[in-house]
Amino acid sequence: MKLASIAARNIMRNKRRSILSITAIALAAMSIVFLFSFLEGMKNDLTGNLHTYYTGEIRVRHSDYGKYEYFNPLHLRIENYTEIIKEIERNDSIKTVSPRIHFPAGIYRNAEIYRAIGMGVDFQLEKTYQDIESHIIKGRLPEAGKKETILGVDLAREIGVTTGDKITILATTMRRGSNAVTLRITGIASFPVEAFNKKYLLVPLDRAQKLLRMGDSVTEIIMKLKKGASSFKVAGQLNTAFHAAGREELEIKSWKEIPSSYSFIETASSMYNFIALFFFILASSVIINTTMMVIHERKREIGTIGAMGMTGGEIVRLFFIETVFLSTAGSLIGVILGIGITLPFSVAGIQFGKAMEGVSMEISNSIYPALNLKSTALVFVYSLCMASLATLLPSIKAARVKPVEALRNI
Amino acid sequence: MMKRVFLAVIATFAIPVSVSAISAEDVVKKLEKNTVINTAWTDGYLIIHDRFGTKKTTFISHSKGADTMLIEFTSAEEEGMKILRTSNEIYLYYPDAEELIRMQGAALKESVLGSDMSYEDMTGDKSLLQSYRVNLEGIKEVDGAPCYKVSLEAKSSDVPYYKEIMWIDKELFMYRQVHKFSRSGKLLKEISIDDIRQVSGKNIPFHMVLKDALKKNSSTEFFINDIKINLHLDPDIFSLEELTW
Repeated sequence: MKLASIAARNIMRNKRRSILSITAIALAAMSIVFLFSFLEGMKNDLTGNLHTYYTGEIRVRHSDYGKYEYFNPLHLRIENYTEIIKEIERNDSIKTVSPRIHFPAGIYRNAEIYRAIGMGVDFQLEKTYQDIESHIIKGRLPEAGKKETILGVDLAREIGVTTGDKITILATTMRRGSNAVTLRITGIASFPVEAFNKKYLLVPLDRAQKLLRMGDSVTEIIMKLKKGASSFKVAGQLNTAFHAAGREELEIKSWKEIPSSYSFIETASSMYNFIALFFFILASSVIINTTMMVIHERKREIGTIGAMGMTGGEIVRLFFIETVFLSTAGSLIGVILGIGITLPFSVAGIQFGKAMEGVSMEISNSIYPALNLKSTALVFVYSLCMASLATLLPSIKAARVKPVEALRNI
Repeated sequence: MMKRVFLAVIATFAIPVSVSAISAEDVVKKLEKNTVINTAWTDGYLIIHDRFGTKKTTFISHSKGADTMLIEFTSAEEEGMKILRTSNEIYLYYPDAEELIRMQGAALKESVLGSDMSYEDMTGDKSLLQSYRVNLEGIKEVDGAPCYKVSLEAKSSDVPYYKEIMWIDKELFMYRQVHKFSRSGKLLKEISIDDIRQVSGKNIPFHMVLKDALKKNSSTEFFINDIKINLHLDPDIFSLEELTW
């Protein structure tokens, strides 16, 4: 208690120096809060997009589809998909299911052929699966059985079409034949993912099946799970069920087993931990420097308190407590400032706009930083510990000051 | 160029000529005389082999002269699809499409029904001698048949293949083999014809194999079941209006 009072008094003795130390720690903590929040937001966004647009939490495909994916192997399909969905829905952990067909398409318009990616979907199921209606910025969803389509907003702009216009799409059929159909554009959609806006057109599943001559089959079924359900566990249960039913051709995978940008973000996440460490080391160097200066300037004082009977351990504790006070203040201010900066962005988002053009990651144009335990409380503890530990070395040096040598300079 | 081969498969005039000393130009002229047709009706099919297996596509075609042809596919997978080639334009008709699709630019490089033939192979209305410099490189045997080996090098860049080597049957003046190359000398396509029959005094290739050298495990066989030549064809069948009916 006595040491704490002396430490507090010492801090107040040189306010400018103390403010400098606190500012260094606060800036580091603030940056890391924002960095971790941004990264968390990125992970949340990527996870959501993967679950909604790409892999689902669990994906069912023909086991050979992935091997030949580059060649558009529509014949490696899931036959009798409605029966498969019924079987999937028997599992209590399944929240929603989405059967889909992906196919390369050429959009013929004014004697030009524009490259696009077609996706056959069940719009009724997509309403619950991805709240697709919320993405329609003009017009309405296509109806099943009708020659209708919706286009991503950028694709529609590139082709120069809008709702009510007709486009003819060319596609390669399941048996590598050729077919085309004219579709009316009923809606323009703005998806969170840039690739969907630029390249995708969505058509009713039954029309896609007719165009591609696929009968009652789809290329994949993706699904979302109820909260708390393990994608590995449910994928295992479905695998067991389908293999027991003789559907060995089906490949059922958790989204974490499917290569995607998520693994990249996870790797990046570990790297950011090191970046955070580096930031704190930089900030701590200010504290180390300050403490060393203090020890040098207060050599006579150290000698005096040593001569008065203060032990080496007590001198170490004194300087350590001083730094803990500075670190606590700096970390707290930094975390609060970090939260203050992050909060508005977590609501409004950070717009990347054109910066994301050409990026093939499954990431949205807008990232919403997300505050969590790691980006706040852990950053506080992290910065406090790093800054405090950084002063141990100069504090020990202070304890080694011999009173006789220190007092000789008086 | 491929168009000429394809047309030759569908209907070809072939006048056997014996020559002892002949120039490359003469060989090509005789070849072209052999492949230019007045009118023809053909019933045939394609067998397309690729990494995923084999597919059969049947068709009926009508052709007139060197640059007009209508192919109607009759197999279930492509039923109703038509390709109309009119003087350097190619149009596609699909029953579910409300408009004709005119193939041009990069789209011409696309494969016809997943075969080894591209739409570009069906274009080109100039004669070989107009488009290429030709050179006779001797006489070689192909499948036991003596052939003139003729190399062709493009005079301009408006041809699909910069260089070609043809092995032209010395007696039948029909291709036995053709290799097509890019400007850099890369082999792009190979054609071989192994079944040439006489129909109404003309030499007609009844079986041709086409390989896209850039595709792995891929080849396309063209077969003719039946062919009628020099018959009367209503000129309207080659019109865009008729195509949509």
